[in-house]
Amino acid sequence: MIELLIEEASRRADAADVVMKTDETLTVAFDSGRLKSTSSAQECGFNLRVVHGGRLGFAGSTGQDPIALLDAAFASARLGPQVAIKLPTPAPLPTVRTHSPRAATLSAVDLIQLGRGIVDRLSIDGVKVNLVVERSIGSVRLANSCGVEGSYDVSTVSLSAELVQVRGDSVLITGDHVAAAESPTLAEVEAMVQRLLQRIAWAERDATPPRSGNLPVCFTPAGSAVLLLPLQQACSGKAVLQGISPLGDEANGPRFSSNFTLVDDPLADGRSGSRPMDDEGVPSQRLPLIEQGVVRNFIYDLETAARAGTQPTGHGRRSTFAKPQPAYSNLVVEPGHHAFKELLALIEDGLLVDDLLGVGQGNVIGGAFSQPVGLAYRVVKGEVVGRVKDAAVAGNAYELLGRVAGLGTEAQWIGSMAVPPLLIEGVAVLGA
Amino acid sequence: MAETDLRNYLQDAIRGSRADFTEIRLERVWSSAVAYRGANLEGATTSFDAGGFVRCLNRGYGWGASSFTGLDRLPAMVTRAHELSLASPRDTPLQLAPVPIRIDEVRLDLDGDVRGVALADKQALLERLNGEMLAADRRITDTQAAYHDEVTEYWFACSDGSMIYQLRPHVTLSAVAVAREDGAVERGLESIGLRRGWHSVQNQEELFRNAAKRAVGLLTAPRVKGGTYPVVLDPRLAGVFIHEALGHLCEADFVAENPEAQAMMTIGRRFGPDFLTVGDDGSAAGLRGTLPYDDEGTPTQNTLLVQNGVLVGRLHSRETAARLAEAPTGNARALSFRHPPLVRLTNTYVANGKGTLDDLLRDIKLGVYACDALGGQTLLEDFSFTSGHGYMIRDGRLAELVKPVVLAGNLFATLDRIDRIAGDFRWNQMGGGCGKGGQVPLPVSEGAPHIRLRDTLVGGEIE
Repeated sequence: MIELLIEEASRRADAADVVMKTDETLTVAFDSGRLKSTSSAQECGFNLRVVHGGRLGFAGSTGQDPIALLDAAFASARLGPQVAIKLPTPAPLPTVRTHSPRAATLSAVDLIQLGRGIVDRLSIDGVKVNLVVERSIGSVRLANSCGVEGSYDVSTVSLSAELVQVRGDSVLITGDHVAAAESPTLAEVEAMVQRLLQRIAWAERDATPPRSGNLPVCFTPAGSAVLLLPLQQACSGKAVLQGISPLGDEANGPRFSSNFTLVDDPLADGRSGSRPMDDEGVPSQRLPLIEQGVVRNFIYDLETAARAGTQPTGHGRRSTFAKPQPAYSNLVVEPGHHAFKELLALIEDGLLVDDLLGVGQGNVIGGAFSQPVGLAYRVVKGEVVGRVKDAAVAGNAYELLGRVAGLGTEAQWIGSMAVPPLLIEGVAVLGA
Repeated sequence: MAETDLRNYLQDAIRGSRADFTEIRLERVWSSAVAYRGANLEGATTSFDAGGFVRCLNRGYGWGASSFTGLDRLPAMVTRAHELSLASPRDTPLQLAPVPIRIDEVRLDLDGDVRGVALADKQALLERLNGEMLAADRRITDTQAAYHDEVTEYWFACSDGSMIYQLRPHVTLSAVAVAREDGAVERGLESIGLRRGWHSVQNQEELFRNAAKRAVGLLTAPRVKGGTYPVVLDPRLAGVFIHEALGHLCEADFVAENPEAQAMMTIGRRFGPDFLTVGDDGSAAGLRGTLPYDDEGTPTQNTLLVQNGVLVGRLHSRETAARLAEAPTGNARALSFRHPPLVRLTNTYVANGKGTLDDLLRDIKLGVYACDALGGQTLLEDFSFTSGHGYMIRDGRLAELVKPVVLAGNLFATLDRIDRIAGDFRWNQMGGGCGKGGQVPLPVSEGAPHIRLRDTLVGGEIE
């Protein structure tokens, strides 16, 4: 159908491109330690763009009627925005592993066996284990009227574990996640198990919150979302174009610590955001966003780049029902020089933050936040002394990333993000 | 495929299944969307989506499920779901509480069928509404305006014998205005989501103007000094508070397999003052979270959760109801054919108390009036929610506008701090929706009167 669509669209329009994405996901779910369900989800959809009379039109469908899809795209183009986009021409694509033939053959029985092993490892008295093991195989095919024809296969094996502990009226819920193109190695599974067990062990004791004030806070990879989410929004070319990115104004923008480097890396080996081209056929490239504290690049898709009068960076992502938008592939914070224990050792009295409540609500791109802790621990003289409740952490993400006292040597992959633990000086903590 | 052909197709698939229990949902969805960013049209599109979801259950095994796009492979998908169930052995059986067998057709009022309205008219509508934001103030530097509509044909059938058809509309409008001055950036948000059609999105200019006004007002609004205050929640935020703080804890899947959680949520336990009554009503007329049946074919109903400060009920799927030997409540909901049903909230409410907002403000010397909700999150007994904006309360009256505040706390402690509930109940039908288990945004609504809390921790500026 993709050939037919591009042939017909090219005949009727100035230019056109179409993406077909297919996916088959096999999911095994354990609920409170017991196997609950095994599911298969199959998905196939088309997203078509036409440029007609200088206007852009889009249409998406999971149906198999090419004429209806073409008509919908041309109807959209009659009203569409006037933007002079230039579709890419054929070019060699970089090599990157996005697919594992071995992962692709994993059966329901294999996934159940893998899951049972993890559930056993996580079984502790009074703690419920919820676990989802997933294997997904799919393909991305793209063609445009300039002769680009690209495709690649994708596989993902992921583990999502959640521990639930209820003691009296106190609830502890903590999760962890591993995902890659290849099945996780025993070491990766064990590392996830250890991270989860460690959090339960640390929470065994309750600690009083520290006295309110500016304190050193170590953010775990999961806990650092409150710092990185504003950056993700601010590094999008779209935010810069609209004039709402605090990073858009180089002269007056924030100053980040020189040990802080943020890179978008679609060529990372076998990660869930890895890809040889974006969803508009632009070849993938590694793109430094912030290099040693200095803002270097923003991400652009074709349309945003055209509107901004700059070059696309290969960051267009589209789904069946949404036109291309700038989106990251794998977002990587470069690790630093401190083992995790060494980072904690730098804390005289402060917090280790693993989860804040309500992150992502409110004026995220503004950077200011004030969030209660979901899961956090008090650290005294470099040692975790217990779980802290009834405390809040506040500040401005851009300012705090200018006070990075240290980064961990090991980045943890969370979905398509790799983040090391971050130690920040002088974070406002609202405690006792 | 015509409607009657699809029904036969579905019935044949159910009859052809070898599983002990089989359940199928099929959907066909026609939708359109228009979006503006600043002065620019992002796009105006129409889409078509179709697919199905099959679940099978066999004695001694867990669920097997398959979902798929397109409708033509249903028999193969039933076989697949049955096989996946048989691949999932389980020692403790999964059981389903009985529900009445229903053969029904429900065609909701399409309220101006959006499929009959030209895309150009939808674009013109949103262009005008977006223009209201851009024209409101010179400091409005960016906007996001979105229109989305859909009409869904929905079939449900299960091997118990139920066969339900629903025709249902849904329409949302959302406004984001961004104001900028001297490096400060603030946003104003407004949205509506309705199980209605084209007629109900007319004359919404005020909604968009309010978003712009709010963004501009917040530019110069101070931040609340962090600390403990008496807090009055407006009905919108009070609704989100009860949804987050109490509603999610009453979803029975949290307690079904967890004796410690059951102990915490024992029926008969005190929850808040004796003038607090909370419920969830999936059958309330004309609301966004309302449907005649849930996604297991159970009729929706009004379920009391807390009555006069005592926990009296919880929300169930057929599975959690059987597990706890209670009755299903019609709360098994799936976001679409791509997802299994989970225990979810519908329209969650706090029942009316007495008095007016002024009565609640009168004896507060220094406090915070928190309005609107940007969102909320719950870790069950601990929760947080973010207001859209707020006002200081000084000497019994509303004073200056303040930036959004984060309210957080422990459920039990916070419920105990409710000291007044006003008598000005209203339902709120905001856009957006609720998220759980990767299924977001599920259409829900909340309703409440003004609620007053003693000594509540407000996150703000720390000095």
